[in-house]
Amino acid sequence: MEITLTHYLLLAAAIFVTGMVGFIVRRNAIVMLMCVELMLSSVNIVFAAFSRFHLDGGGHVFVLMNFAVAAAEAAIGLAILVEIFRRRRTVNVDDLKTLME
Amino acid sequence: MGEHILSWMTFFPVIGAAVIAFIPSERKEVIKTVAAAAAAVPLILAVQLFMTFDRTTAGFQFIEHYTWIKSFNIEYFMGIDGLSVPMVLLTAFLSFICVIASWGINKSVKGYFALFLILEAGMFGVFCALDFFLFYVFWEVMLLPMYFLIGIWGGPRREYAAIKFFLYTLAGSVLMLLAMIAFYLHTSDPVTGGHTFNMLHMFDQANHSEWLQGTNVRHVLWLALFIGFAIKVPVFPFHTWLPDAHVEAPTAVSVILAGVLLKMGTYGILRISYPMLPDQALWFSYTLALLGTINILYGAYCAMAQTDMKKLVAYSSVSHMGYVMLGMAAMTSAGINGAVLQMFNHGTITAMMFLCVGVVYDRAHTREINAFGGLGMQMPLYFSFFSFALFAALGLPGLSGFVSEAMIFMGVFPVYRTITIIAALGIIIGAAYVLWMLQRVFLGPKNEKWDSLPDINAREMFTLVPIGILVLLLGVYPMPVLDLMKVTLNNLIKVVAG
Amino acid sequence: MELNLNIPSWSDLRFWLPEAILCITFLVALLGDLVVRGRRTWVPFAVSVAGLITAGAYAVAAMNHGLDAGQFQGHTIMGSLMIVDGMAGFFRLLFIFASLVTVLFAWTSEEIMGKRRENKGEFYALTVLLTAAMMVMAEARDLLMLFLSMEAVGLISYVMAGYMRTSLRSSEASLKYVLFGAVSSAIMLYGMSLLYGMTGAMEFDGIRNALISGTVDPFALLVVVVLILAGMSYKIAAVPFHYWCPDVYEGAPTPVSAIFSVGPKAAGFALMIRFFYTTFAAGTDAGTQLVQDINWPLLVAVMSVATMTYGNLVALRQTNVKRMLAYSSIAHVGYLLMGFVLLSSAGLASILFYLLVYTLMNLGAFFYVVAINNHLKSEELSDYVGIGFRAPWAGAMMVIFLASLTGVPPFAGFVGKFYLFTAVLDKQWFWLAIVAALNSVVSLYYYFKVVRAMFLSTPAEGTDMSPLKLHWLQYVVLAMLAIPTLALGLFFEEFKGLADMAIGMMGG
Repeated sequence: MEITLTHYLLLAAAIFVTGMVGFIVRRNAIVMLMCVELMLSSVNIVFAAFSRFHLDGGGHVFVLMNFAVAAAEAAIGLAILVEIFRRRRTVNVDDLKTLME
Repeated sequence: MGEHILSWMTFFPVIGAAVIAFIPSERKEVIKTVAAAAAAVPLILAVQLFMTFDRTTAGFQFIEHYTWIKSFNIEYFMGIDGLSVPMVLLTAFLSFICVIASWGINKSVKGYFALFLILEAGMFGVFCALDFFLFYVFWEVMLLPMYFLIGIWGGPRREYAAIKFFLYTLAGSVLMLLAMIAFYLHTSDPVTGGHTFNMLHMFDQANHSEWLQGTNVRHVLWLALFIGFAIKVPVFPFHTWLPDAHVEAPTAVSVILAGVLLKMGTYGILRISYPMLPDQALWFSYTLALLGTINILYGAYCAMAQTDMKKLVAYSSVSHMGYVMLGMAAMTSAGINGAVLQMFNHGTITAMMFLCVGVVYDRAHTREINAFGGLGMQMPLYFSFFSFALFAALGLPGLSGFVSEAMIFMGVFPVYRTITIIAALGIIIGAAYVLWMLQRVFLGPKNEKWDSLPDINAREMFTLVPIGILVLLLGVYPMPVLDLMKVTLNNLIKVVAG
Repeated sequence: MELNLNIPSWSDLRFWLPEAILCITFLVALLGDLVVRGRRTWVPFAVSVAGLITAGAYAVAAMNHGLDAGQFQGHTIMGSLMIVDGMAGFFRLLFIFASLVTVLFAWTSEEIMGKRRENKGEFYALTVLLTAAMMVMAEARDLLMLFLSMEAVGLISYVMAGYMRTSLRSSEASLKYVLFGAVSSAIMLYGMSLLYGMTGAMEFDGIRNALISGTVDPFALLVVVVLILAGMSYKIAAVPFHYWCPDVYEGAPTPVSAIFSVGPKAAGFALMIRFFYTTFAAGTDAGTQLVQDINWPLLVAVMSVATMTYGNLVALRQTNVKRMLAYSSIAHVGYLLMGFVLLSSAGLASILFYLLVYTLMNLGAFFYVVAINNHLKSEELSDYVGIGFRAPWAGAMMVIFLASLTGVPPFAGFVGKFYLFTAVLDKQWFWLAIVAALNSVVSLYYYFKVVRAMFLSTPAEGTDMSPLKLHWLQYVVLAMLAIPTLALGLFFEEFKGLADMAIGMMGG
């Protein structure tokens, strides 16, 4: 079977939905962050696939930039999590309700 | 000052407020004197207006016309005609009286008088503005000072009354704002062809766009404007803010509320709705007469049920504004002249009543009708002033209220017979609650608690006597005021009723 | 495979001087803070103020130069990644002004400068960098730059929200911000990747050209619009992507909430305007959308109504002033979105004008909360009783801000609403105008709940009624905001002209 653009897109969609569902279902902040990374990866697949499809370098550039941004986001997210874990000994978002009315 | 007499009138109080803001708050007497001076200047100018106003033309006079915001074609356009001049005189007169009547204020004197003067400026602005945008700005500028005047210096339920007043009026004015913008977008300046806020251009139906000539659109716009103004009048069922605001407000502010602010509603209808949407004015006139009658009867009935003097006077205002609406609905010369005269007369009479209630409240710290009795012996001078005001309110011949009410009934009877007869019942109920209150407060056995109440003092006399003279004078000879407005109002009827 | 990459010319960067200055300022402030080891905080403060003023001066000069030349249709930078045009110039000035007053006010804030706080200098450095990032958001005209600038603003915001590391509230706010921010940007990215796939272009006009050619499937495009709109709505906190907003504003230090409520939102609007009006509409005064099958104006209009109504209704029952202001800022986004759906340049210009007055009045209201918090250590409405009389001039200015937020004349907020309503009624979106007008009546109630506590309510027996001593700088900054709020309500010709010009000179 030949692997076409559609296959890449379907794979990306599957990963994206997995990440999305995981983000909604799971309450552990670290897992939630990982799910977001999953979503970002699926976006990378789409960009790379289309970049090849259009024979345009823009998509590749986007993928590289996306790596950097995702890494920065994860770094900040984890730093904040560490800070919270030190005080509360939990990373479950349901336990973090100081701000709720 | 000659050229810009209206601007001076409007903005002199603002200058006064600015000066007051920089006087140290301990110098209470200085602040009060400055406030009195700032209110006296417009009064002097008003007298000058009265002397020089040309009574033979329906056109606008003392016009000031400048560009304000060019890109929206907003203009600083001030001018007065026979409809606005009585209101301007009333405002100048009552504002000065009220500054004197506020002499006893002790809490945050500085803020009180500064806000009061800004309120005065807003009132003048509303009656003088001929640019719709300018009119709207002045209309809204009054809200903030009024909110604070009721809210800070008012009675026990002042917080509730203040926000209720603010919410009701703002709800009405946002509808007016939308209607105003619709007019703006669909009225073209005959010279430049651009959109305009100029009221005179809006009066001319030829400047309206095709969209604005659609009947349904005009009905909707009329209703939007009407609700905006009706809340201020207040027309039943939009009246519920009024008793709260009047009762909680300090005396002088009640006077301004009842004396001037209520008139803005009916003034707005006559100034804006009638000439801009004349067909709709005719279309609505029966409803307006009906609403007027409801106001008369409902206000009077409610007044009868009150045990608080101030609330009674407040409801009597609802009732008396009903006469104004009835006269306006008639679209006859007598009716509409009577309506505007009633606006002026009610302003003076109700001011007197509120001042009188204030006098007894300052002394006894209660306004319960049932708490008093036999005060006539204790305070004979006060008794005579209050009964004078009350008799004027019930329309005793020889006093000013009678003239305007009689004119209204004469004007409206040929048009709406049944309604007139029903509305006339209001006079009987009016007499009932007035006489009932007089009897309960001043006659009968004296309550010993009040043995030490001093009679009316010189400052209070100073506020009551000028109004009393005016009420008496206009009762015998109303021509000075009628002459001012006759030409303009007859012209207005021609525009509306053809 | 042949890669199609444009190598940018460096000479374009001279149009990018304000941003460059801010980036350098950030580095200097950060290094300066390191050198003085966080002790002499005035070093990063002074560096930031100086940098912001210099950048502002250059931005003004660039604006004047562009206007003098008679046309400011824009200079593209780095190939076609960014454009400096009239609109970008407008937002540059707006952001620099907002950051400058925030930095000045933060200097007096106990939350930022309190004795036990660490890393005081970082706040100033980060604010400067945030400004630069927001400016890029207003300049981006390429999907890549759009994404990078949004992420830059986002990342800096996450750090700033968690600025009070010792406060659990602050950390928690920051975590919420990161999680939801990341997921919403992932959703937007997915939409962008599909848009790239459908059109084969990254820069906005390339996308537009592909859309005009009509080869794009409308349903797929609708999905893309929804996905991208989701990401942008998150940035401006529009319903249903608003939930982070109240928590973050309440948890973050108040000066940070102040700049959040204004800066990133305005930047989000700039970006939305540029993106939607260059890709999905034929220019700023299009009249119709480009692809008729997708009624994105109606979609946004529904969002606008939902946003303003939700924001106002929930704000009604708040007892914490800061949280109430957060919901009110959601409501204002709803008003702003009205201008977005009109497909007319008047609608867009009214957004810009409203953003300008919103910046003044909203920053003012937040700063007053900061000033009071310094003394009361509370933002609860019940603690505000009688506070107006304890600092009358500041209280009077707060009344100006709140009345202006309500939209009562003669304050700037009224003019902003008036301009919006005029644009809306001109395009005959009557229901939108009526809902918005009624909403502003609702908002009166909760804004004046604060005024009521400050001035009307009688303080309980034994309440401290001694005069409050506010820092002189606080009076200066509050006056810097209150005086224009009043003046713009009466004389707005110039600034309306500026907003019109900015939209008129928006390059494609």
